[in-house]
Amino acid sequence: MTYMVFLLSVMFVIGFVGFASKPSPIYGGLGLIVSGGVGCGIILSFGGSFLGLMMFLIYLGGMLVVFGYTTAMATEEYPETWGSNIMILSMFVLGVLLEAGLVMFMAVSDEVEVVVSFKNMGDWVIFEGDEVGLIREDSMGVAALYSYGSWLMVVAGWSLFVSIFIVIEITRGG
Amino acid sequence: MPSIYVNIFLAFIFALLGMLIYRSHLMSSLLCLEGMMLSLFILITLTALNMHFTLSFMFPIVLLVFAACEAAIGLALLVMVSNTYGMDYVQNLNLLQC
Repeated sequence: MTYMVFLLSVMFVIGFVGFASKPSPIYGGLGLIVSGGVGCGIILSFGGSFLGLMMFLIYLGGMLVVFGYTTAMATEEYPETWGSNIMILSMFVLGVLLEAGLVMFMAVSDEVEVVVSFKNMGDWVIFEGDEVGLIREDSMGVAALYSYGSWLMVVAGWSLFVSIFIVIEITRGG
Repeated sequence: MPSIYVNIFLAFIFALLGMLIYRSHLMSSLLCLEGMMLSLFILITLTALNMHFTLSFMFPIVLLVFAACEAAIGLALLVMVSNTYGMDYVQNLNLLQC
C-alpha cells in the first residue's frame, strides 16, 4: 500500500467530479462532504493532524452545514440525482474516465509532465534545518498567527466582522 | 513535485469548469466555488507539510476564513434571489436584457 495516499487523492477527484457534474445541490453537497472527508484523510497521511481537524470542524461542520440548510430552503420538489438525467450521468462518467486515464498514465510511465514534472521521487528529499526539539509543526504554525501574524489576525477578524454587517444589509431586503 | 499534486490540480480544474458552466441552479455554482477553496486548502497544506515551512501554516487557516466570508455573502445573495423569485434558478436573473 505504498500508493495509498494516491488512491485517496483519486477518490478526492471522483468526489469533485460528482458535484462538478451538477446534480441537484443537495447531492452536490454530498459529493463535497465526501471530498472533504477524503481530503482530510490525505492531510492526516502527511502528518498534519491539526489542519485535518480544522477542516472537519470549520469546513464540514460549519460551512457545509450552512450550505445544507440553505439548500433545503431553496430546493425543488423532485431533486435530480446522478442517475435521473443522462447529461449529469454522462458528465460524471467522462470525469471518471479522464481520471482513470491519468491513473493509467501515471502507472505506466511513473511521471506526468504538464508544466512541471510530477514524479514520486520528490517525496524522498528531506529538507534539514536546525533541530528545534519536538514540536507539532502544524499546531505551532497556526499558533504563530498570534505572534508573527498578529496584523493578519486583526485584518481577518475585522473582515469577518464587516461581512456580518454586509450579510445583514443584503438580507434586509426592500 | 509529488505525484499527488496532479490530482489536486485536476480537482481544482474540475471545480472551476463546474463553476463556469451553468445548469439550472445558482447554488451548484456556489458549491463548485467551495470546492475550489477546498482544493486550494489541501494544496497549500500539503506544500507546507512537505517542505516543513512551519510559519506558512497560517495561510490555510486565513484562506478558510476568507472562504467562509465569501460563502456567507454568496448565500445571502442566493437567499434574496430565492425570496424574490421563489427558486434560485439562473434563468430568473434576466433583468439585464442586452
